[in-house]
Amino acid sequence: MAALGIFDTANLNGGQRLAVKYFTVSLILFGAQILFGMLAGLQYLKPDFLYEVVDFSVNRTLHVNAMVVWLLYGFIGGVYWLLEDEAQHPVVGLWLGNLIFFILTLAVAVVVLVYLIIQVGPGEIESIWFINEGREYIEAPRWADIGIVVSVLVFFFNVAATFAKGRYTGVAGVLVADLLALFGLYLAGMFFTPNVSVDQFWWWWVIHLWVEATWEVLVGCIMAYMLIVTLGVRRKIVETWLYIEVALMFGSGILGLGHHYFWIGTPDYWLAIGGFFSALEPIPLVAMVVHAVFDSGVHKLRNSNHPALAWTIGQAAGNFFGAGVWGFMHTLPQINLYTHGTQWTPSHGHLAFFGAYSTAVIGFFYLAVQKSRGNVWMSGNIVGGWKWKWAMFWLWTGMIGMTVALLIAGYEQSQIERAMEGSTWMGYFAAQAHPWFTQAMNWRQISGWGFTLGYCLLVWDLLTIGKRETRPALAPQGEPATA
Amino acid sequence: MIEPVHLADFFTVFFSAAMVILFGALYALLFAFSRVGQRPGLMPLAYLSYLGLAAAALILARAANLHGPFWTPVVGLMLAGYLAAPHFIFRLCVDTHLVEDADESSLFPTRQGG
Repeated sequence: MAALGIFDTANLNGGQRLAVKYFTVSLILFGAQILFGMLAGLQYLKPDFLYEVVDFSVNRTLHVNAMVVWLLYGFIGGVYWLLEDEAQHPVVGLWLGNLIFFILTLAVAVVVLVYLIIQVGPGEIESIWFINEGREYIEAPRWADIGIVVSVLVFFFNVAATFAKGRYTGVAGVLVADLLALFGLYLAGMFFTPNVSVDQFWWWWVIHLWVEATWEVLVGCIMAYMLIVTLGVRRKIVETWLYIEVALMFGSGILGLGHHYFWIGTPDYWLAIGGFFSALEPIPLVAMVVHAVFDSGVHKLRNSNHPALAWTIGQAAGNFFGAGVWGFMHTLPQINLYTHGTQWTPSHGHLAFFGAYSTAVIGFFYLAVQKSRGNVWMSGNIVGGWKWKWAMFWLWTGMIGMTVALLIAGYEQSQIERAMEGSTWMGYFAAQAHPWFTQAMNWRQISGWGFTLGYCLLVWDLLTIGKRETRPALAPQGEPATA
Repeated sequence: MIEPVHLADFFTVFFSAAMVILFGALYALLFAFSRVGQRPGLMPLAYLSYLGLAAAALILARAANLHGPFWTPVVGLMLAGYLAAPHFIFRLCVDTHLVEDADESSLFPTRQGG
């Protein structure tokens, strides 16, 4: 092991070296998401800005797709990071994993370039295969879709084969099953039918079952590992809660998808199913609060990595407010009729994605930096510790600012465009021109600058934290045998 | 199946829905603190929060037109679920910590981070 504070991949096992590659690209794509989001936000304020250079539709596509891909890279990196520790066996087929990393990264770069170079044109079979599939959120052309599926299959092989040859734990079981779903559900977005309702029905499987269900479980697995290594929580407890999460997902989460079927031409019974399970969805959040208080009482929050734990706590809070409060405010069909598709949706989406997923990946970045620098001290009084705190402050402040601004804009749209004007074009433009909307868009942009500042500080911190530390990491406190 | 919310009730719906979740969290928080810290004085405050939750749920039900043979039981289930969840989860927390083996520590024998 290299000296403390020196970044050296010799400190890492094979899977973790591959994970660092994924984390690096993930962080770069996070920056790309912010860049294109800021450009799209500016185009709300100045519609002529970059018109016919990089149109709003392209910026928005890149903003959303960059988010999906950087989080996916972060999750894959997280799994490779924990794989050898968890299985207690070297990663099987590591060379294949490395090869796929480079192919996938090259493919992502090509797709982004094509989006930027060919922004308009006819929608034909060739354009579906090579330029843009034309479906919101999953615009990647068909060749890239196939590439993603192959990459996930190789990833599945690496993980399943490693666990098969090594130790097969409860986390391993959940992870392997989830990766199979990650591969299978993506296929639902690779075909379309002439019937828009049928097409949307399957499309939501990728948008919501893939992104919300399989990702939630994936995050559950990597956060389980995070709790074990930073807080010293015992395996049996973590695995019990992981099983409960999976049970809740099957019990309510999957049918909770019904609230996305309200207005796409599906039968009326989806109103009942979606409304029922949406009303019950917050109950697990209450359970989460009880468990968090219980565990913090047991562990006294003594931990080996302050930034990682802070982002983990942020994950719990962000998930609660973003998915819980912001989701439940407009999920019942009686009100969703007016809010669906207004700025309410991105308000909820921004806070929920950042709260539930981005925070978890950022926490893992800090775990990776710590070990890459020889398992250096990252508890209290870190040298230069102000940077991670201010990065966190600005990222959260920026995100909350954007969320609230979008909420105000969405509230105005739901009233004027939807309820008063009856979803007409006149209503749409009346709502867009209203001072509440335009002022909210300004505040969204200002908050976006704050978020950008937070990102810059985060990158700076990840490159420097632990550099001047000479203390080894603090061992997390194990909990007593009985509570 | 559904009766849309009236324009005048928009704010009531958004606000009461948010309060359902926030009172729910407060109830869970006070309940758990009361049990973990053995501070029984917090328990009445926890149930007071639950009353706040119930009031918010009933206001939401009225404003969002959650009535009739389907929606009324949904509201009832929601209230029962909120009431019971902290009890069940706390019991589960205690039990999962009790049954663990004393010698099963964590992933790493040295308990080193990262």
